[in-house]
Amino acid sequence: MSFTGAVKAFGTVRAVDGVDLEIGRGETVALLGRNGAGKSTTISLLLGLDEPDEGTVALFGGPPSAAVRAGRVGAMLQETRPVPRVTVRELVSFVAGRYPAPLPVADALELAGIADLAGRRVDRLSGGQAQRVRFAMALAGNPDLIVLDEPTAALDVEARRAFWDSMRSYARRGHTVLFSTHYLEEADAHADRILVIDHGRLVADGTGEQLKRSVGGNLVAFDLAGRGTEGLTLLPGVVSVEVRGDRALLRTDDSDATVLALAELGAIRGLEVVPASLDDAFMALTSHVLETV
Amino acid sequence: MLDYLRLEVRRTLRDAGFVIGGIAMPVMMYLLFTNLGGASDGGWKTGSMIGMAAYGAVGSALNTGGGVAEDKGIGWLRQLRVTPMTPREVVLGRTLTGSVTVLPAIAAVLAAGGLVNGVRLEVWQWAAVAVLLWLGSIPFTLLGLGNGYRLTAQTTGVANMVCNLGLSVVGGLWFPLALFPGWLRSLSGFTPTNRIAQLGASVAGGDAPALGAVAVLTAWLLAFGSYAVVSYRRAARTI
Repeated sequence: MSFTGAVKAFGTVRAVDGVDLEIGRGETVALLGRNGAGKSTTISLLLGLDEPDEGTVALFGGPPSAAVRAGRVGAMLQETRPVPRVTVRELVSFVAGRYPAPLPVADALELAGIADLAGRRVDRLSGGQAQRVRFAMALAGNPDLIVLDEPTAALDVEARRAFWDSMRSYARRGHTVLFSTHYLEEADAHADRILVIDHGRLVADGTGEQLKRSVGGNLVAFDLAGRGTEGLTLLPGVVSVEVRGDRALLRTDDSDATVLALAELGAIRGLEVVPASLDDAFMALTSHVLETV
Repeated sequence: MLDYLRLEVRRTLRDAGFVIGGIAMPVMMYLLFTNLGGASDGGWKTGSMIGMAAYGAVGSALNTGGGVAEDKGIGWLRQLRVTPMTPREVVLGRTLTGSVTVLPAIAAVLAAGGLVNGVRLEVWQWAAVAVLLWLGSIPFTLLGLGNGYRLTAQTTGVANMVCNLGLSVVGGLWFPLALFPGWLRSLSGFTPTNRIAQLGASVAGGDAPALGAVAVLTAWLLAFGSYAVVSYRRAARTI
């Protein structure tokens, strides 16, 4: 699947603003971004629900709508409510029946963890259960690619864990999975590769480790004890300085040099050196774009 | 597509509102209108039977549009777009759903006429009345679809109800046309509801379906069909 210079605008807002990317078969990829960053629009383009204004989007070497028609794609869309007056088994069987080589319905329900709900009506399930029904619909056709738009939004911790277990067992069968999320931990924990999108642009692409490294590896924190912050940005390795209460947090790409310089200043009080979290990486990546826009 | 038809028919028949409003109501109204005050003769029992069967069929046909509006609102139509089903199959499946779900109302009112009110017709007449009412309901399915694709679930409900009650009353499905003032009676002749009942009534009277009725209904079929197509095209971009 590939995007080449894809642009999609709604009025004056460029929801997807020149995205180039390529995803290979069998990858599990997270599309990470804040609300309104362009994740859902990217997914709409990928599924052929929307056409790009400029550039091209290709899925399995052809237009997305052809891949969808050929039954190679399953999707779990955002903001859909349960279909009323139908049982779980009826609904999943119906969707499976649209595809050329579907999973047996019992397998689809098993994978989604809802085998015990087969006879229940979809509109009488809890939020987490209904979400897993939607997941079952996405995978029922046994498509090569499944696309999940914010699959865990509004799920509690337990339901979320159950959902990711299901997703992983599906991915283990060699399928390509693309999911969007605004939870960093989810992207880090469940994807082989993370695409960070912000203001409609792809601002980073790599594993969680690579993303963390790319923004300067460590945070050095110490007590200011009344001392000012002047000069701290000039210390070796320091990329940025933040003050929280009486503590200074220095982001640095060479923590050894930074700590040595602090020692020379006699500033070491309650020193901590921690690796930057993916959270920090994400903040750095997306705020950088904010500045340049 | 047959699977889709089966799924949607099942969902419609599980809708208590549909079963009560679309099937039970016309039967009850028919039995009330023909048995209150003991003033009804055999002709009114037959005429009202056809009127109420038509009323039920019209309501059920319009209800298809309510289903579309609901499915649009909850994202089910969008979900269908990411399956291998084509939009054409979806629309056709929905139209067929409408043509299946009108049958219970027609059957129930005719049964009430034959079994409770002692209406006597030849076997072929029963069959012809049912088939003509069934065919005559197609324009209303299209009207319902037009509303459903264009409007939200709530406004579709209101629009369908207004169309249903307005056309049914003016078309003379509830009360005999003889009770209407002259101007309303001539207006009535242009409504599809009046003409669908006329189709049934002519057959029940032993005549061939009136050409005028076929012509008026065909005109409405084209008008509502275009409305449905335009509404669908407009909605398709946003579903």
